[in-house]
Amino acid sequence: MIGYYLRMALRSFRRSPGLAALMVSAIALGIAACIVTLTVYHGMSSNPIWWKNGELYAVTVNPLSPSQTRKAGLRTYGSDQLAYDDASYLFGSGIPKRKALLAFVFGTIGGVPGRSRPLPIMTRATTAGFFRMFAVPFRYGGPWNAAADRGPQPVMVLSDRENQKLFGGADSVGRTLLWSGHRFRIVGVLAPWHPLPRFYDLSPGNGGAYARPADAFVPFQWGPTLRDWPAGHMSCDSHRSAPSTYPQLLGSSCTWIGMWVELPTRAARRRFLAFLQAYAGAQRNAGRFHAVNVHLWKVSQWLSIHHIVTHQSVMLVNLAFALLAVCLINTLGILLAKFLRGAPIAGVRRALGASRRQIFAQHLVEAGALSLAGAALGLLLSAAGLAGVRLLYRGSDAAYGKFAHFDFIGVAWALALALVSTIVAGLYPAWRIGRRPPATYLKSQ
Amino acid sequence: MTLTSHPLLRALRRNPTGAVLIALQIGITLAILVNAAAIVTHAIRKMERPTGLDTRDTFAMLVGGLSKHFNVYSASSEDLAYLRHLPGVAAAGVTFGIPLTDNGGDLTVGRSPGGQGPTVTSAYLPVDRQGLRTLDVHLVAGRNFRAGEIRVLSAADPHPRIGEVIVTQALAHAVFPHRSALGQSIYLGGHTPATIIGITRNFMGPQIGGEGDVYDTVLLPEVVTQYSMYDLLVRTQPGKRDAILREATRHIGAADPNAVIGYTPTLSHAKRLMYSGLRNLAVFLSFLTVVMLALCCLGIFGLGTFNVATRTRQIGIRRALGARRRDIVALFLAENALTVAAGAIFGCVLALAIGQWLTDHDGVARLDPWYLLVGFAVLALTSQLAAWQPARRAATISPSVATRTV
Repeated sequence: MIGYYLRMALRSFRRSPGLAALMVSAIALGIAACIVTLTVYHGMSSNPIWWKNGELYAVTVNPLSPSQTRKAGLRTYGSDQLAYDDASYLFGSGIPKRKALLAFVFGTIGGVPGRSRPLPIMTRATTAGFFRMFAVPFRYGGPWNAAADRGPQPVMVLSDRENQKLFGGADSVGRTLLWSGHRFRIVGVLAPWHPLPRFYDLSPGNGGAYARPADAFVPFQWGPTLRDWPAGHMSCDSHRSAPSTYPQLLGSSCTWIGMWVELPTRAARRRFLAFLQAYAGAQRNAGRFHAVNVHLWKVSQWLSIHHIVTHQSVMLVNLAFALLAVCLINTLGILLAKFLRGAPIAGVRRALGASRRQIFAQHLVEAGALSLAGAALGLLLSAAGLAGVRLLYRGSDAAYGKFAHFDFIGVAWALALALVSTIVAGLYPAWRIGRRPPATYLKSQ
Repeated sequence: MTLTSHPLLRALRRNPTGAVLIALQIGITLAILVNAAAIVTHAIRKMERPTGLDTRDTFAMLVGGLSKHFNVYSASSEDLAYLRHLPGVAAAGVTFGIPLTDNGGDLTVGRSPGGQGPTVTSAYLPVDRQGLRTLDVHLVAGRNFRAGEIRVLSAADPHPRIGEVIVTQALAHAVFPHRSALGQSIYLGGHTPATIIGITRNFMGPQIGGEGDVYDTVLLPEVVTQYSMYDLLVRTQPGKRDAILREATRHIGAADPNAVIGYTPTLSHAKRLMYSGLRNLAVFLSFLTVVMLALCCLGIFGLGTFNVATRTRQIGIRRALGARRRDIVALFLAENALTVAAGAIFGCVLALAIGQWLTDHDGVARLDPWYLLVGFAVLALTSQLAAWQPARRAATISPSVATRTV
């Protein structure tokens, strides 16, 4: 039966190809606009490590009370990052299954055969736990062990991109490089890895939520050992307290170290929070802190308190749906007029024995075929639209360009929206035509 | 003739669905058109603000050193001595932070110590005596820094008194709205006292993305040394920028084999990057609005054509009864105008509601009623144009069709 209805629909389209094309392209435009904005929105708001959402926690320690912090114009939990003293102490805790400290340092890479001068390299100073905690994929080798953190031993991990650049993608594990003038051994090379958003470091001062992870990773203690200044975001109480020397930096209350812990069980989470509160309480009693204002943030909470989904992208999604609404109203009007003009044919079919329900089904199939064609064309248009978005954001760090990649979610949305289009634009006209009494149309024949 | 029996309303009443659908489309399109136009105009105004800088002929260069003995002060002094003698260079200075980028720092500026009273968060830029010339900004009051006032921050003298600062007009007005800021004492970062010795015309310093005005910048007489890197800012004679950039990169690289040249952004590139989000938003919105408007017109055109086709006999009878061609055109256009007017009323309400939502959520300024008026005019005109062709076709129907099928 469906096959027969489809043939009827095809004949109907052939009768007025211009109108059919108009309706299909209207639906396609609406669907394409929705897919483009939804793809970007989905990319921005997603949690790239959802399967460990309840196990990974960002640690924040604010020496001020919430009201004091608000008065200073900051978010009540204070800084995203910790001061050196606090980070060193808290990192000593044995409660978390894994833990990581994070900072950016100013590094250079040299000693590369065939290249004369050192080049700056975006270096993440971190601890061994970082890689397993955040499920970082390795192409060659693996992370350094915890002993290398304490030394610190001159070991490093390269990003896939940097390994391509330096060694043409070959297995470089075991080779050595000059990092900031010192000889480091490569222990691991990452597979391509760029979590979007970069959930573990959302600081605008560190490049923001969509920046690349890093090109090289070295044990955290190399920063203090080489007196290598943090190259990422650093926040100090005041201009006056900004340190000028490295020992001053380590003793200051300036925050520049991110900290994450893995707490797989509820008990571990409770124990670590108690440990955190006890530490802040002791600091308050010693006069260093004004209040106990400490937090553990799940990944999803961390993403939401940083408002990385901008109102702008919400607005664009709404706008796309408004466009789809206009397209569907448009199609609804044209379809209604078209069906009613075809009423004499439907009248003949009714007179020959077709039931109301069959007439209704036949017209709904016609609307459905239009919507599906619209969705198919819409997919093509959205692929072009996403390419256009990438072109617009070429060379910029903004999120839109990075998420503008076609994925299965786009196809799923297209199918869902085609269904919606059929219901919105097809249901009423098909119902109207099904209800027409056949006699009126047979009279004048 | 009473209103209800007017043929215009009678025709619409007999088959209201098509008209209602058109009115709905018109309403939504008007609401979106008006708000999009307001946002795009706002974005364009923002992008057209003068930077106050010579973006065409200025570039920056990050230079860093590897060895522990790398001395920022002596290295940057050598670079500057070289650059200032290079033919084609108009001015050069050392700084830490780059205008029009998020490279840089900010601090609070207040009238009393300890962060009491009104404070403004402002970007800062450490400069030497050539700073004003390099940025190509002029003083509107006061004086430039003197040679003895430039301090080199070092380990031996970690927290020097800042002393003198130069601020932009915007910052001066923000901190001292009612009197001249020149010669006044201010507190930087809550505790550090300083005196305003000069006020420059407005220019855009580093854009840290805080709440403050884009023109809020305070110039500090400092050479920042603790990071073992520094930014050189170079302004060239017109058209020489790229050649000087190449030459300077080569020379500074050759002078110290361990020097690291990080990146060399030009200010025109920095400006383009700074506005890329706004520009692309404007492109998106304009594109979607134009598509919506076009669809709306196509819808009016399509339904109009159908209306004419289904009402052929009615029109024929009218013509036979004495209606002229232009009466038929007028009838169809009037029908369309009525539909559009109804849609526009709905659209105005929707536009104001969306405008309110945007004001609440996005900090967009309240919708100016002028946009509603202009939006309505645009929509009325384009919809009448879309209805024109079907109406003309209706007018060509010959009176004889009315009698043919009877």
